Amino acid sequence: MVSKRLNPRNLPALRYGAQVKMYQVNQVPLLPGETIQTTVKDVMYVCPFSGLVNGTLTITDYKLYFSSVEKESPFILDINMGVISRLESISVPNQGENTKGLELVCKDMRSPRFAYKTEESQVDVVEVISRHAFPLSHNLPLFAFLYKDQFPVDGWKVYDPTAEYRRQGLPNESWTISKINSTYELCDTYPSVLVIPTNITDEDIRRVAVFRAKHRIPVLSWIHPESQATIVRCSQPLVGPSDRRCKEDERLLQIIMDANAQSHKLTIFDARQSSVAVTNKAKDGGYESESFYPNVELNFLDIPNIHVMRESLRKMKEVVYPTINEAHWHSAIDQTHWLEYIRLLLAGAAKIADKLESGKTSVVVHCSDGWDRTSQLTSLAMLMLDSYYRTLRGFQVLVEKEWISFGHKFSARVGHGDENHANSERSPLFVQFIDCVWQMTRQFPAAFEFNELFLITVLDHLYSCLFGTFLYNSEQERVVHEVQTKTISLWSYINSQLEEFTNPFYVDYENHVLYPLVSSRHLELWTSFYARWNPRMRPQVPVHQTLKELLFLRAELQRRVEELQRETTSHSLSSGSEHSPTHPTGTALHTTV
Amino acid sequence: MPIRNKIGEMVENVRLLERSCGQRKPSVGTLYLSATHTIFVENNPETRKETWVPHSMVSGVERLPPSPTGSQLILRCKDFRVILVLIPQERDCVDIHASLARLSRPEKYSELYCLSFNPNVNKEQREESWAFVDLAADYRRMGVPNNLWVTTAANSEYRVCDTYPSELFVPKSATPAVIVGSSRFRSRGRFPVLSYFHQDTLAAVCRCSQPLSGFSGRCQEDEMMLQAVMKSNPGSDYIYVVDTRPKLNAMANRAAGKGYENEDHYTNIKLQFIGIENIHVMRSSQQKIVDVGEMRSPSMTDFLFGLENSGWLKHIKAILDAGVFIARAVADEGISVLVHCSDGWDRTAQACSVASLLLDPYYRTIRGLMVLIERDWVSFGHKFSHRYAHLDGDPKEVSPVLDQFLECAWQLSEQFPCAFEFNERFLIAVHSHIYSCQYGTFLGNCEKERRDLRLREHSHSVWPQLWKERSQFTNPLYQTDLSPSQGVLRPNTSPYCFKLWKGLYNHTEKSMPPRQSPADFLSTVREESKQLEEELTNQQERLTALTGKPITWEKVAVPRRRRRTDCQKHGGPDPPATTHGRLISGPDGQTDRKAPRKDPALTLPLRDTDDFSACSDLESGVADLSSRSSSGGDDNKEAELE
Repeated sequence: MVSKRLNPRNLPALRYGAQVKMYQVNQVPLLPGETIQTTVKDVMYVCPFSGLVNGTLTITDYKLYFSSVEKESPFILDINMGVISRLESISVPNQGENTKGLELVCKDMRSPRFAYKTEESQVDVVEVISRHAFPLSHNLPLFAFLYKDQFPVDGWKVYDPTAEYRRQGLPNESWTISKINSTYELCDTYPSVLVIPTNITDEDIRRVAVFRAKHRIPVLSWIHPESQATIVRCSQPLVGPSDRRCKEDERLLQIIMDANAQSHKLTIFDARQSSVAVTNKAKDGGYESESFYPNVELNFLDIPNIHVMRESLRKMKEVVYPTINEAHWHSAIDQTHWLEYIRLLLAGAAKIADKLESGKTSVVVHCSDGWDRTSQLTSLAMLMLDSYYRTLRGFQVLVEKEWISFGHKFSARVGHGDENHANSERSPLFVQFIDCVWQMTRQFPAAFEFNELFLITVLDHLYSCLFGTFLYNSEQERVVHEVQTKTISLWSYINSQLEEFTNPFYVDYENHVLYPLVSSRHLELWTSFYARWNPRMRPQVPVHQTLKELLFLRAELQRRVEELQRETTSHSLSSGSEHSPTHPTGTALHTTV
Repeated sequence: MPIRNKIGEMVENVRLLERSCGQRKPSVGTLYLSATHTIFVENNPETRKETWVPHSMVSGVERLPPSPTGSQLILRCKDFRVILVLIPQERDCVDIHASLARLSRPEKYSELYCLSFNPNVNKEQREESWAFVDLAADYRRMGVPNNLWVTTAANSEYRVCDTYPSELFVPKSATPAVIVGSSRFRSRGRFPVLSYFHQDTLAAVCRCSQPLSGFSGRCQEDEMMLQAVMKSNPGSDYIYVVDTRPKLNAMANRAAGKGYENEDHYTNIKLQFIGIENIHVMRSSQQKIVDVGEMRSPSMTDFLFGLENSGWLKHIKAILDAGVFIARAVADEGISVLVHCSDGWDRTAQACSVASLLLDPYYRTIRGLMVLIERDWVSFGHKFSHRYAHLDGDPKEVSPVLDQFLECAWQLSEQFPCAFEFNERFLIAVHSHIYSCQYGTFLGNCEKERRDLRLREHSHSVWPQLWKERSQFTNPLYQTDLSPSQGVLRPNTSPYCFKLWKGLYNHTEKSMPPRQSPADFLSTVREESKQLEEELTNQQERLTALTGKPITWEKVAVPRRRRRTDCQKHGGPDPPATTHGRLISGPDGQTDRKAPRKDPALTLPLRDTDDFSACSDLESGVADLSSRSSSGGDDNKEAELE
């Protein structure tokens, strides 16, 4: 949901809940680069909450813009094309024969419906929407390549892998920053910059690549600043039904273990259910045998696959949209299993974090291909372990690194610009990750620099195709399509108005490891995201405003006291002041973590 | 507290295996049994942490079969804590168990803690403590007596109804004969009296018990009584009679010669059933929710199904719905409401007090909640001793009726985080004092019984004590300045708006390290701001003294957003026709207040006009949080701050 108003700082309010100043009704706000395709009059919006609304529908290459003057205050509905999953004809009773109905099934938990008269519209509405909602299926560019806005900061500069590894203290004597994948020759879904052990030859690495699914070899994601224990990610080993071995792979894991002097063990976390891992052996995949890898402990985290997650979110939509299942709210939520999966993910990530922090042991994380559940787990564990990732900037780095650069298949999972809505590759894995982050922000309200609006904005632009950030499946594809030069980064927009996305409670808990409670009583459904289209779900009182006011008041008082103190001091220099008041300059939200 | 009054029993080398709040490692120490408390003192010389459990808080003692390491004893408390100790010798365990079983079930009031509890205060202070909550003052605050509602002497010396207070307000037109006649036609003689008077609309909330109508009985005086209630609200031509029971239950009562008002006999009443279940259903439902709270690492399904199957949140919703119905009738329609259930001391107390909480911001303050509990519960004969098992008695009389009211307040405070002066801790503190018997406030079943026990001479009131501790009970988000204008709360009572009250029911996980609390953070910020303000004044004075020139600052103004109708659209999923989410009937164009505004000067005694004008000022002055402009602020400037 994006509204295209300029706010007073001349920055577009491209986010959910943005303040929209009223336009003239016949004037459709346009983004730089956006063009109107057609305007259809006498369209009815079939509002699930308050009935029919009559108005005008403007279709651009970026959005559907419905406006109405019927009610005393003008009504505007703004749906970006990227969020549309599929178009469906519906029947509209009692509106005459020439009236057609259209339902826009969206990726963000809603399905707005419209009714329009065919005789009055010269163009085929469905045709036009379809072209721009699914540009790739019509040989058209994604809107991100047409969007021509200017931002004071460049979000593409947020993530520099070498700088990030340097921040972690890399390279060091055991780990090196390798150029082996600089042309994506070793692994086409991995980033060009990889951190691998110093003690291994390129030749051995190539052999390991052959033994790992999609050539996704074990590489370092994060290193503990004290114990030197590491999080290493990869894909499943290609063990197959005959229990194949790979000497080099075994040696690589041994070297990874040895790089950490604090522990003589290595723990492998396989995100899958053990039964699934076994089935994968028949399909030439599999898991590490503890007898071939000495001192390695294998743990299965029992997280179901992408298809299960897709189905879970689909059920969730039924519970919250358009009407909320009131009679059996708790059991309806339970039957989606969504919270159960959130729990599995958080619990798995907490196990990984604990293994590093308390066990001082390095871990290897993989699932099947190492780009879905693996990204979820490594990024959540890193969020728990490293306070840097809990800042606005650090979180962007985390997403760029563990998700975007390591080849989470955003294009396939979200289905950007593609009309094939039934594609089984689609799955809300990134939504699930952001939900987990939200759960953590609920339990540690002062530990994260960003607020809920930030998380919702990220998810909105996961779908919108306005920014290049989440486009394509891998770094290589993005290089080929020149994403960094031809599109704008989401972080350009966000970092140009950081205040909007900042948590007023934030205190930097450096060196604090946050373990969220994963008991079922401590996880909640994120209704302000999933059920946000329902007007009844809106919070009754804007608490955030009160918080800001309190903090503002304190800052203002502090300023005045200081001012007066200075004045007093200057006046009383002769008399000699006996009095030097000191004040706490701010209260840290106390925590025990 | 020093360990005094130690009696007979003391066992050493006891292991405290689990205390629902506190550390998780078992600690070794000594267990004492005093006349009033079970006390565990840690051996660790550094901490010597003490755990005190009043015997009156113990709801059950259980002894597990002995094991080689000793015998386990489980103490279940009425505040849902569970304490588990391991006693080395089985004999000791048997003794302790036997003593506790007896001590936790006192048979006479004289055995209760409050009658031996002796805080360090003299006689005058004790008497003052009882005067802390002044119900007469509260009635004056709401504007009675006036020319509509008057005091009646009918129940002096509890002649007409022994479970009612002696001071009562009735419609001016109700003669003593009507009162007495009506009381004969009502269960336990609990005739219709005033609970809350709403000055803005002149509508009233009244309470009584069910009529003894059977299938066809009628009573002229009772009919006149209801007519009088209606007449005390000039301009309205009917009243609502809210029967808080499920209709089936009410009908079943007719067979026993009780029942509900026949709309053919009473002119101008509208009967409404709400469907709050009886005390037995509530008792077993609470047990289920306590079990959900105590489950150890439940699966998501265990938890969500447990929550739903307990029915607890559904019952809380029913009670809140009753309050919402009454508040709407009184505030929006300007229609008086007569509330009853069977005896009029459980569900009726719940419905009336929730309605007051919704209608009047005063009851959302710390002192106001004390007044409200004192009025609708203590004075109107809610049977505290029976419901909360202060004395060994019929277990079927026990039920968490007031627990549910406190939970309604908590659920409301979750929906309206800025509307309540008190926080969750205050509600939990009140909850534990209802059971603890440390103070005399909640003892006995009605005013008469308390008088006969001479509790005011032998025990203390809890309210001044809680008032003294109010700094820890204050909600930092509370908007003092806005509160009077916040008017009527309009909560959303859809099932998904109700949550498990973890603070009360989930003690097992309290042993986890406490999470970050923004509320505590804010309290500190508020405290600091206050200190800074004082500092500012000091500095000003110093400077004035130095320079001889007084300086004046304008008050610090916090820039506030102006609320726009379109900002609620969030990009516009729906037309703004829905008024959900508008919590408060603000003056800014909200027209949902349909009640005709009456001219107060015509109907109220003169001395009340001051209050009244104050009220109307507030009505028209301020909107909700977001729509308020800063004091002296300039709208254009504010827009820039957004």
